[in-house]
Amino acid sequence: MEWLQKISITCFAASYLVVFGIELSRVFFQLDLRRYVRIGLTAAGLFAHTVFLAYHTQLSFNSQGIWLGSWFGWCLSGAWVLAAAYLWLSLRKPHSMIGMFLLPVVLLLVWFGQSFTGSAPFSPGRAKTVWNMVHGSSLLLGTVVVALGFVFGIMYLIQSRRLKQKRSGSFRLPSLEWLNTWAERTLFGSTLFLCGGFASGVALKMVQQSSISESANSVAGAGSIPWSDPVIWTSAVLFLWLLLATIVSVFYKPARRGRKVAYVVTISFLFLLLELVIVWQVGHGTDPQAFNTPRAAWRLNPNTAESISAHPINGKRQGPSRRLVVPPKPAARFSLRTGLRSIGLKPVLQTNGGNS
Amino acid sequence: MNLQVIGCSHHHSSVSVREKLAFTEDQVRSFLDKYHQSFPKSEAVLLATCNRTEFYAAGKSADGVPSSQQMIEFLADNRGLKTGDISNNLFAHQDRAAIAHLFSVAASLDSMVVGEAQILSQVKQAYQIAVDTGQQIPLTHLVFQTAMKVAKRVASETDIHTTRVSVPSVAVNVLTKQIFERLQDKRILILGAGKMAEETLTYIAATGGKDIVVTNRTRRRAEGLAEKFNGQIADWNDLDKQLIDADLIVSTTGATEPVVTHEQFKLVAQKRQEKTLLILDLAIPRDFDSKIGDYESVYLYTLDDLQKECEKNRQSRQSQWPKAQRIVEQETANFFQDVHRRNSGSTIALLKKQANNVKNSELERLLGRLDRLTPEQESEIEQSFHRLVNKLLHPPLKSINADQNSEAGGLLDAMKRLFQLGD
Repeated sequence: MEWLQKISITCFAASYLVVFGIELSRVFFQLDLRRYVRIGLTAAGLFAHTVFLAYHTQLSFNSQGIWLGSWFGWCLSGAWVLAAAYLWLSLRKPHSMIGMFLLPVVLLLVWFGQSFTGSAPFSPGRAKTVWNMVHGSSLLLGTVVVALGFVFGIMYLIQSRRLKQKRSGSFRLPSLEWLNTWAERTLFGSTLFLCGGFASGVALKMVQQSSISESANSVAGAGSIPWSDPVIWTSAVLFLWLLLATIVSVFYKPARRGRKVAYVVTISFLFLLLELVIVWQVGHGTDPQAFNTPRAAWRLNPNTAESISAHPINGKRQGPSRRLVVPPKPAARFSLRTGLRSIGLKPVLQTNGGNS
Repeated sequence: MNLQVIGCSHHHSSVSVREKLAFTEDQVRSFLDKYHQSFPKSEAVLLATCNRTEFYAAGKSADGVPSSQQMIEFLADNRGLKTGDISNNLFAHQDRAAIAHLFSVAASLDSMVVGEAQILSQVKQAYQIAVDTGQQIPLTHLVFQTAMKVAKRVASETDIHTTRVSVPSVAVNVLTKQIFERLQDKRILILGAGKMAEETLTYIAATGGKDIVVTNRTRRRAEGLAEKFNGQIADWNDLDKQLIDADLIVSTTGATEPVVTHEQFKLVAQKRQEKTLLILDLAIPRDFDSKIGDYESVYLYTLDDLQKECEKNRQSRQSQWPKAQRIVEQETANFFQDVHRRNSGSTIALLKKQANNVKNSELERLLGRLDRLTPEQESEIEQSFHRLVNKLLHPPLKSINADQNSEAGGLLDAMKRLFQLGD
């Protein structure tokens, strides 16, 4: 199964990038063959993406017992769902240029993913709980659905503007009715998933605080929600916004018609981006003791007790053979090596002190 | 192959001439029956549509096929006209030009609305009627089958059929599809019951529109239109109520003042609760106040807006025209090469047969005169004759084969005459 290791982010990112280029070329000229090339390349990219994710998820699970080991895995999983959605939409709406709007989101997620290759993994101890599983997967699906809603919303606004201005435009988009229906569905879907994510997150926090309090033989703060946590309150704001938008659109017809839904899903996406930035900045879900900063990944393998800096720079060491951990580079490359690193596995450089 | 076509179309003939030469289906059948009685050695097809009447005649040899003048006379006689009345309004093409013309017609490059799909079914129907007459029509079969193949190729390899150029077709097939996913579940309100309304409804019905409501100041006309499209009739006084329920409005009245004013629509808009509304105002003067288009959920298109789209599509078709024309030219050349190849194959077979007959009779005569030949000697003489014939035939056969790729066929005719080969 060595070929599995050879599949890198470059394989599928390049496929998506070429498909995006093909989508853009539709603005300038028509070619029937292009459709098959586009679908074929997307399918190929998705296949490589699937294999890559499956392999690295397996590695992550074997090493830490968790599925999506870090933000790296989380972003790439989100990109995978969106790429699959693009393939499905390409087959359903072959004449519409949905990829022009959706593929940049996919590529951005892949790019974010690869730039997180050196960041801290999710805390293994916490990640193994059911609450964490529900929390992580709900937030992942919620993010994907919000991103989809954003794409549909933007397309709706462009299509509506073109029709109002009586311009047919140089590319085709789905009908307003279709875009409105799907934007509305994504609004409901994202509310549902983010509700699950928020509720499970709150439950998790309460359980965690309760156990800390018990261990400290104190009842103060046990079971209460820490509203001062920026992740908690921004999540609450996002969730309330979505809940309100959903309730209004269910009970008030005009709210789910026309551009309003498009605006709501677009604003939701911006809210979500803000939320994700905060979550990442505070290192939510990761183990702060293991990795305080991306640079903190400079460390020794736990099997060895000493730091590299404690030894002579020329590398001439005494004593038994030891393993040196190669630190991740700040600007990570698209490679299996960086992928391994991101999910907590440590590519090692084997040195033999006795022989050097 | 000899092929002639005479006829009239919207390009060369006025409506008055086309009317005189119009045929119903039964009249076409009767025309072909009479033709076969007059010219039994040839085949004929009559293509009669509202924009053209074309009379095709084909035969293996030139003597069996009527000349253009004979065809004009036959056509005029059948319609009870004098030849002089119509001859100046008719076109005539022969062989290659006739084939290229038929291919262009079938591919809808010669139609009034270039790219319209109806002409292909009309060509098929004309061919089918010719088949139904019971006459053998191998040449016509070949020509018309190829014409249909060419039409399909043009349709698949160019965009000439995809762009719409008439206002109702653009309105329904282009514009409504950008707003509505389907028309099956949409309330369609038609204001007016004129020709434009009927034409637009034809496209709407073809797209799946079912929930149709027709309203008109003259109820009787609305009833006729509603009945034709299985729609409902609404009283003109209930217009506001109908405006509230509608998803798509097609307005084609002949009113001199706006039928729906901005003030009137304000109340309607409140009750619509921002439901998307597409208004196709195809009337001149306009039936809807232009301010109505300012509502966020209302998309108001006038005749001028749609004309712009039509003009753009016409230009788009023009850009596809050279590509389509190249396909027709290519297929015409291929067709003649194919016909020539078939003819040369049969000529070669005849030539070989004739040479072998001569060889066999001479061999028989020689062997009868020579006694006491051993079997080896007989075989040697036979092989010698065989080689002689082959060597004599090799240069002319090689020339015919080389000539297969040309569509002229002059060498083949010369060969037939030179060696006195029959058909």
